[in-house]
Amino acid sequence: MAFVLGIDVGSSYSKAIVLEEGEIRSYAVIPSGGDYREAGRVAARAALEELNLTFGDIARTVAAGYGGNMIDFADDTSTDISCHAAGVHYLFPSVKTVMDVGAQYSRAIRLDDEGRIANFIMNEKCAGGSGKFLQVAARILGIKVSEIGELSLTAQKAVEFTTGCAVFAESEAVSRISEGASPADILAGIHNAMASKIVTLVIRVGLTPDCAVTGGGAMDIGLVKAIGRELGTSVFVPEEPRITAALGAALMARETLKTS
Amino acid sequence: MAEEKKGRAVATSTAAKIPKFVRGNLSATLKAKEEGKKVAAAFIADGQDEIMRAMDIVPAWGESFSGVCAAKRDAEKYLQKAESDNFSRSLCTYATCNIGFDMMREELGGATPEGAPWGGMGRPDMMLGNGQLLCDPRFKWPQATQHYQQDVPVFVTNMYYPPWDPNADHHEQEAIYVKYATEELRETVKFCEKITGKKMDWDRLAATVELSDKTWDLFIDTYELRKHIPTPMDTGDAMNTMVPLTFNLGTQEAYDFYVDLNAELRQKIADGVGVANPERYRIIWAAGLPSWFALGDFQYFNGKGVVFPVEVTYRGCEKIERLDLPKTNDPLEHIAWRWVRYWTHWYDAAKKRPGSTPKVERIIEYIEDYKCDGAVFHSAFSCRSWHAGIMQQAATLKKVYKDIPILIMEGDIVDISSYNEADTHNRIDAFIETLAAYKKRQG
Repeated sequence: MAFVLGIDVGSSYSKAIVLEEGEIRSYAVIPSGGDYREAGRVAARAALEELNLTFGDIARTVAAGYGGNMIDFADDTSTDISCHAAGVHYLFPSVKTVMDVGAQYSRAIRLDDEGRIANFIMNEKCAGGSGKFLQVAARILGIKVSEIGELSLTAQKAVEFTTGCAVFAESEAVSRISEGASPADILAGIHNAMASKIVTLVIRVGLTPDCAVTGGGAMDIGLVKAIGRELGTSVFVPEEPRITAALGAALMARETLKTS
Repeated sequence: MAEEKKGRAVATSTAAKIPKFVRGNLSATLKAKEEGKKVAAAFIADGQDEIMRAMDIVPAWGESFSGVCAAKRDAEKYLQKAESDNFSRSLCTYATCNIGFDMMREELGGATPEGAPWGGMGRPDMMLGNGQLLCDPRFKWPQATQHYQQDVPVFVTNMYYPPWDPNADHHEQEAIYVKYATEELRETVKFCEKITGKKMDWDRLAATVELSDKTWDLFIDTYELRKHIPTPMDTGDAMNTMVPLTFNLGTQEAYDFYVDLNAELRQKIADGVGVANPERYRIIWAAGLPSWFALGDFQYFNGKGVVFPVEVTYRGCEKIERLDLPKTNDPLEHIAWRWVRYWTHWYDAAKKRPGSTPKVERIIEYIEDYKCDGAVFHSAFSCRSWHAGIMQQAATLKKVYKDIPILIMEGDIVDISSYNEADTHNRIDAFIETLAAYKKRQG
């Protein structure tokens, strides 16, 4: 009976997950803030405390993500791309294409039959297809990011943005508001613009069904539906999509334990 | 203010001699006036090298100087200067960096701007442009520069070669392209004679061309030593060791450099010394100019056991015997044949593989010869001619050859604002994991 720990320190949120015998026992998600090292430790401690465990009870820890290299108590590190692949393969073995919509980046990852990366691509230093676009939209409309998804589903006619750029879309959204467009229609338009960018990545990496969406963006039902429409197929979404990479990291820790 | 540049080690001690070459080329442009020589703003891989060398014309390599500015992380002031006159950053940043520098020098009445990397470059007496198929900005770069140096005459050639068409017989087309290129070179000589007031010494030109041929052969013989496992030299070094071939062709110094490099690589092979220990994966640098401000990324690869034994970039030559050049006593016609066949000699191979192209066939040849596991392409946004074809090349490679791991890196050649080190290293790490998965699948 060995516990393993997976940590994913993202630019917005840090996630930790504890596995035992391949089963998820606990997890925690906290804002990363400016200190990634501390954020990883706090997230890990929160996941451990839920099970009344300490760091000493963990047989192996793998860290990933933007701040993964800063987690000094980790036994190993991996890229969040590999971790997303492993996590999705564990949850949905039939999935061959993963779209990870994070706060700073979106990525398309193609998996092989064993859940390893066959190909991947990231967006080109552009917020247009990332969660940052949603944060900008929430600020303009004066709502919470978590409210975007449901509100967008009430749209009557999605606004068509003339740009896929988050910076330009901000001023365009303000113009549309002044013209009387509803927040729901604006959000639906933003989802369509984001989905178009994300699906372009998928096409570049090679669309292979089944597909899944992970990362914080996958919590937005409006975005997930827009991606599905753009792809012409339904997509899998994990119950808690933010912890997929942490899950993959924990699975890697477990795999190493098994083979060592 | 210049950002601090990370130190970069080289794998070969011969590569450490390269800064002397580059500095020497730059200082030659500054000393030319006192030595009574003419300076020509020149562009690489355009067939004009031997003409300049045989006429004692000092080439001022704008592309090299911009690369130096980028490597020193000191290009921003020149890019901003060009931007102030409405030159967009999406234009070639070799060109805009150089134009910005030229603008500043003109404002100083021809004096070198203070703080110019490695002493800067002297004002040209002429511009020898070349808008060949390799690079579209070269049609307009000399003209744009001439806005600021209106007294400097410009001569632009084309050096076309037969376009790739799998249904056409390029062997039938070659002669007319050679004839056209030869005439362009002859006009170049006339132009240079007019500016320098000197006549071409044709015997000297023939000897210079012969030396270039020898250098081409030696370069390839030397680089093919990198097929050895572990490879004794990486693309990170090759981005330096290309300098004598690219900027000093037709000089004894260039030839001698490759004699030294050849000896060093042979010694490394004999001693079993490789770039990485252990060597886990071998990768081809399949296309694209590097980010000169981030050459340290090659060491990031090497530190993880990933080596580049071969690259397409700056391998601007081939063994002369493989080109099967027709005999001619005219050195200009020889240069033209060498240029045309350099491109077309991959056409026959490409025709044998349906759906392939010469550029992809070249990559496949190198992958096979150098036993590569994957490919890295660098998509430099301002290098439009190359950037535009990279995705197509990568897709064709996967389609007609095999689904090998490919990493498309994104950045620029000079503009550091395009670069994010953490993001780049994250992509490299994920690519290495992809390579590991690929090798497992291959068994």
